[in-house]
Amino acid sequence: MSATTAPAAGTTTRAKAIQVRLQRFGAFASSLIMPNLPAFLAWGIITTLFIKVGWTPNGILGGWGEVTADTWQGAATQIADPNNDGNLVDSVRLYMGMVGPMITYLLPLLIANTGGRVVYGTRGGVVASIVAMGMIVGSTIPMFLGAMIIGPLAGWIMKKIDALWAGKIRPGFEMLVDMFSAGIVSAALSIGAFFGFAPIITNVSNWLGDLVNSLADAGLLPIMSVVVEPAKVLFLNNAIGNGALVPLGAQQVAEHGKTLLYLVEANPGPGLGILMAYTLFGVGMAKSSAPGAAIIQFFGGIHEVYFPFVLMKPALILAAIAGGATGVATMAATGAGLRAPAAPGSIFAVFTATAQDSYFGVILTVLLSFAVTFLISAVILRASRKRDLAKGESGDLQAAIAQTEANKGKSSSALGALAGAAGGEAAAGATAKPIHSIVFACDAGMGSSAMGASILRDKLKKAGHGDITVVNRAVANLDDDVDLVITHNELTDRAKVHAPSARHISVENFLSSPVYDQLVAEIKAADAERARA
Amino acid sequence: MSEILAPGNVVLAASAGSKEVAIRDAGVLLVRAGAVDPEYVDAMLEREQSISTYMGNFLAIPHGTEAAKGTIRRSALCLVRYDEPVDWDGEPVRVVVGIAGVGDEHLEILSKIALVFADMEQVQRVLDAPTAGELYAILQQVNEE
Repeated sequence: MSATTAPAAGTTTRAKAIQVRLQRFGAFASSLIMPNLPAFLAWGIITTLFIKVGWTPNGILGGWGEVTADTWQGAATQIADPNNDGNLVDSVRLYMGMVGPMITYLLPLLIANTGGRVVYGTRGGVVASIVAMGMIVGSTIPMFLGAMIIGPLAGWIMKKIDALWAGKIRPGFEMLVDMFSAGIVSAALSIGAFFGFAPIITNVSNWLGDLVNSLADAGLLPIMSVVVEPAKVLFLNNAIGNGALVPLGAQQVAEHGKTLLYLVEANPGPGLGILMAYTLFGVGMAKSSAPGAAIIQFFGGIHEVYFPFVLMKPALILAAIAGGATGVATMAATGAGLRAPAAPGSIFAVFTATAQDSYFGVILTVLLSFAVTFLISAVILRASRKRDLAKGESGDLQAAIAQTEANKGKSSSALGALAGAAGGEAAAGATAKPIHSIVFACDAGMGSSAMGASILRDKLKKAGHGDITVVNRAVANLDDDVDLVITHNELTDRAKVHAPSARHISVENFLSSPVYDQLVAEIKAADAERARA
Repeated sequence: MSEILAPGNVVLAASAGSKEVAIRDAGVLLVRAGAVDPEYVDAMLEREQSISTYMGNFLAIPHGTEAAKGTIRRSALCLVRYDEPVDWDGEPVRVVVGIAGVGDEHLEILSKIALVFADMEQVQRVLDAPTAGELYAILQQVNEE
């Protein structure tokens, strides 16, 4: 079936290929962020509650409380310079707290680990975490963008290096070589990330701040959103907010008593729009966690909790930009402004900081930016939701085609092409890829997947393809290093998260699925094809 | 094979009122064999609610959740054949294989059962076997050439 799709080339196939690549990129970004969503939410909850302007301020957990003899003893603390004058004589000892360490270390490390794991299993995850550590301490900016790049990259490098001496190690030394190669490689890469990668991200952040500055100077205010919104979701929000907008805003407040610059980054409208769109039109875990995230974001002012929702569907950045620009334009049109920075960007903090004459304009700004972002997000989510649903159905469609072929007793090329189309992105990406490893996955990896695996293994062996490995796993233990994943149709979506680059087939009945015979036929045909070539 | 699926754990029964009863039957056999703690039986019922363990060809394979693996003492299987079909979410089930699996020891016998049940002629032999001993023998005969 694979051979029939290729020669039908032309512009349509190229457009299709780009679309497939974009979809795969989206699935990849989502596979990095989605499993770590609970960590973002946990950090959001802790931050909302315990920072200085939080709901139940707590200096010990929030990391701003001064250490004295009668406060909590034994926790991690750090020296701080309260006047920011570089004079350490009047320095104090503050609690480390959880807010700072979690966003600086935990979240980027989790993302890097997931990225490494997606590419190269647990080993890739370990190497990626070590390398990310070098990058994190090499800069003072939260390294989210860096982690999303360097995590998968580190896993990939380790995979390539392992391949250099795979099978060439003297028996008995494999473990030793495995341990030390990963240790040495990741130590070297982490130093490289410290000096080579972290400064790049720092420079990008500074450059974005300068850009926002010059846009504000030039009066191109709504265009600022084109820079500010993407920078925000890459966790450069503080660099832009405190680094560029707040100092500029302070000058304007001194002159006019208010400024709209304070609401450019702190406006909670766009984030709320994205989260509400997920609440109504999202799927799966993203849908169910969006309402809680919306409370943390809109009322708690911790905007970071909506960033992962954008990162896992990058097209949503358009919605955030449009909403942000609408907000800035509304502020400019109504002449509204804040008289102090709204930090954190909660609706309460915004109202507290609103200038006396600006309540109408500020409320309108938040409402309009929410509405615009919500509408555009809804369109984007609904469009891709249809695609997701189509993907879900394609499993059944594939099964139906396979059933028809099995009934006819032979594989017609027309049906084969149809099956290829129904397989969607996975099949399209897999056309040239021969199948060496097949994994059956079920919930616990205890029963049904084991039975399915034995039946297919038996069929392959009888067809003379005993060299293809067929194993069974729990879905949660799937790695992305397999060619084909077979799951019960209700688990296929979960399996795709764990093995985004594999081809996926859904079956309804592990015992007597027509898919097995079709697969054996396909592998035979591919073999014959190669023999001819 | 005898350690994982002991001859005494292959049972013929008349009927089960519901699939819950059948799952409990299988669970009790596993508990009695000393393979699992009683909590595992609840996990089997819980697991069934997420996705049916009906496999097709009159076979269901109830087992616990990933989280309940801690209540398994050793890998074991049990098999109950009912004379009257059990209503398994609308599907008729005649053979219930209860599974307690840690590691891979149970996979060999499970794959034999899978190969038997993938072949309708063999399934018919299992359904027609007059005694538990003969049913056990059918499973033992399978080889994976």
